[in-house]
Order: sequence, then C-alpha cells, then structure tokens
Amino acid sequence: MKRFDCMKALARRLSDELVILSLGASVDEWYNAAPHMREASLFQQQLGCVSAQALGLAAGLPHRRIVSLDTDGGMMFNLGILATIANEQPNNLFIVVWDNECYQSIGGPPTHTASGRVDIAAIARGAGVTRAHTAHTVEEFDKHCAEGLAAREPYLVVAKVSGTVQPDIKRKHSDGREDKYIFVRHVERTENIVIMGPSEHN
Amino acid sequence: MKPSAVDAVIRGLKKAGVSIVCYLPDSLFKELYPALDADPDIRTIRVTNEGEGAAICGGVFLSGKRAALVMENSGLRASVEPLARMGLGAGIPVVMLMSYRGELGENNWWAIPHGITMEPVLNALRIPYRIVTEEERIERAITDAFSWSYSAYYHSAVALGGSVVR
Repeated sequence: MKRFDCMKALARRLSDELVILSLGASVDEWYNAAPHMREASLFQQQLGCVSAQALGLAAGLPHRRIVSLDTDGGMMFNLGILATIANEQPNNLFIVVWDNECYQSIGGPPTHTASGRVDIAAIARGAGVTRAHTAHTVEEFDKHCAEGLAAREPYLVVAKVSGTVQPDIKRKHSDGREDKYIFVRHVERTENIVIMGPSEHN
Repeated sequence: MKPSAVDAVIRGLKKAGVSIVCYLPDSLFKELYPALDADPDIRTIRVTNEGEGAAICGGVFLSGKRAALVMENSGLRASVEPLARMGLGAGIPVVMLMSYRGELGENNWWAIPHGITMEPVLNALRIPYRIVTEEERIERAITDAFSWSYSAYYHSAVALGGSVVR
C-alpha cells in the first residue's frame, strides 16, 4: 500500500477540516495529494509533537474536525500522548499514523515497528484509545477515514505503507514560519477570529 | 503555596486570557493544581511529560485560545525538544509557569539539578523569564509573560520561588 494513494483517498473526504502533519517526504506528498487543503494544513518538522499539537487544536476548536497525520517514528517518540488523548476523549480528533517501518527521510533505517513485534494500534488500545485499527489496503484505510472523520470519540488508524516515496512531485518551498502564518491566517479567516493581531500603538 | 498565592496565579492566568492549562503535578505547586481543576473557567489537561504539554499548548495557540504550561522547573528539561522546534522553527509560543526547585534554600539533594540547570536552559533557548519570590508580583509577571509572548511569538517563563512556594 502506497502512502500517496492513501493520502489521495483521505483528501477526497476533506473540506473544512484542519490538518497537522509530520516531517519527511510525507510533507511533500500531502502537499500534492491534497492541494485544496494546503492552507488548512500545518506542516511541522518534528518527531513526537504532531498528535499533541492536534490535541491542543482540538481542545481549542471543539466544533472543528482536526486530523493528525502522524508517523510510526513520531508516535513511538512520545507514546504518552495516546494516554492523554484517551483520558481527554476529544470528539473531533482523527489520527492517522503512517507506518512505513523506517525513518524514511534520512535514508530508511528501521523504526521499532520493522521488527514485526510492535503494534501501534494495539498500544493505542492499551492506552485507552479504544477505536484504534490497522489498515493494510487503500480500501480498508478509506473505510477507517470515513468512520474516523465522523467519530464522536478519538479514532486512530495505523496505515501500513511501503517505504517508497511518490516520484516527481512538487516540493513545498515554505519553511516552518511561513507555514505557520499561512495556517494561522486560514484558521482566522474560517473561524472569524484573531490569533496574531496588530501591535498596540503606544 | 498559600491560598492567596494560588489565587494570584489564577487571577493572572485569567487576566491574560488563559482558558486551558496543561500540567504535570509537582509538590511545590501542590495546592495550585486542584484549584485549577476546580475552576470553571479553566480546562486542565494532565499530561504524561512536560514536552507533551508544551506541544499541546502550541496547538492551543494555533486555535486562537490561550494556554499555559504549569510544572516544576525540571519539566523545562523535558520540554526542550518541542520548545526548540516550535519556537525557533515555526514561531509557535508557549508560556510556562514553573516552580523553582533547587534555588538557595533547597533542602532536597534530588532537586539541586533543577536549580542548576533552569537558568542556563532558559538562556540556551533565549527564553526571557522572571523569577518571582513575592506574592504581590505574581499576577503582573504572568500577564507580562503573555504580552511578550504574543508580541514576540516566542516562549516566555515565570518561575515562582522563595516564600511564594515554601
């Protein structure tokens, strides 16, 4: 199963959701798989932060559906967030974990899931995220997207994807600061709120 | 902490517009956590480590709400990775309120590292901070931290020490 094909399936289901995603090649893949969601997506470059930031966003905007596109390396970096999400029970948070069993962006050394022993969905269920599943086909993944985007409790799907990257895709040129401004202005416009307002005159 | 100091913290948080607090409990702020939990205007999120709390606060910032990360100063060390990435990489601010373990007067050997590392870690991350040891300065320190962080879009910190927490 290719991550890019899963992304295209998920993208078809998204319109007014907000997306936070992790680092590496998945950034450029999402940029191309979901062009209509570029402003609504916060591209982050860090391990272990994505689903935690998504929980914060979900807590701050409880009426809005938040999608976290996390990774096997990122989730294993901070498993505690699964327990926190379980205890907080956000009813607007859908988490996808792209599990390619490797640290792809640095050339592909294995993550812990490559051993075949480590099951992130099982860990999530053990942490209290009861609706946590693993998908091996695009059809399975798409079914979980439909359920996860409609769920009134935290929903997690681990997508077992190959370590290949979609070839010949457009690279995103912006850095983390520009990405943040684009995302914040999108949230401001769609929520009719001010997050980063003008300075005082004094 | 005396009840009046707890009240001052909560007054400062509310004046700064905070509606969500992430915390990992510690002993010096022992009285503060249940008061935060009980406050109807503040949602508390208990975290498994302070770095996770920092990242959640970053997400709250992006939502337009205001959050604070409340913790012992040892939690600063656990937060360095997400703070560096969010603050220096993207300009996503987190305001921290920490108890000052390990300052002069500390009587626990295990807390000494917290005192020795707090200011160098804050300085390494270029995070401005204020150490408050008088109750009447708590409220202003918290609102000043928020004013600065929402101008700089960078982290700031208030450490409560001295007779405020002992």
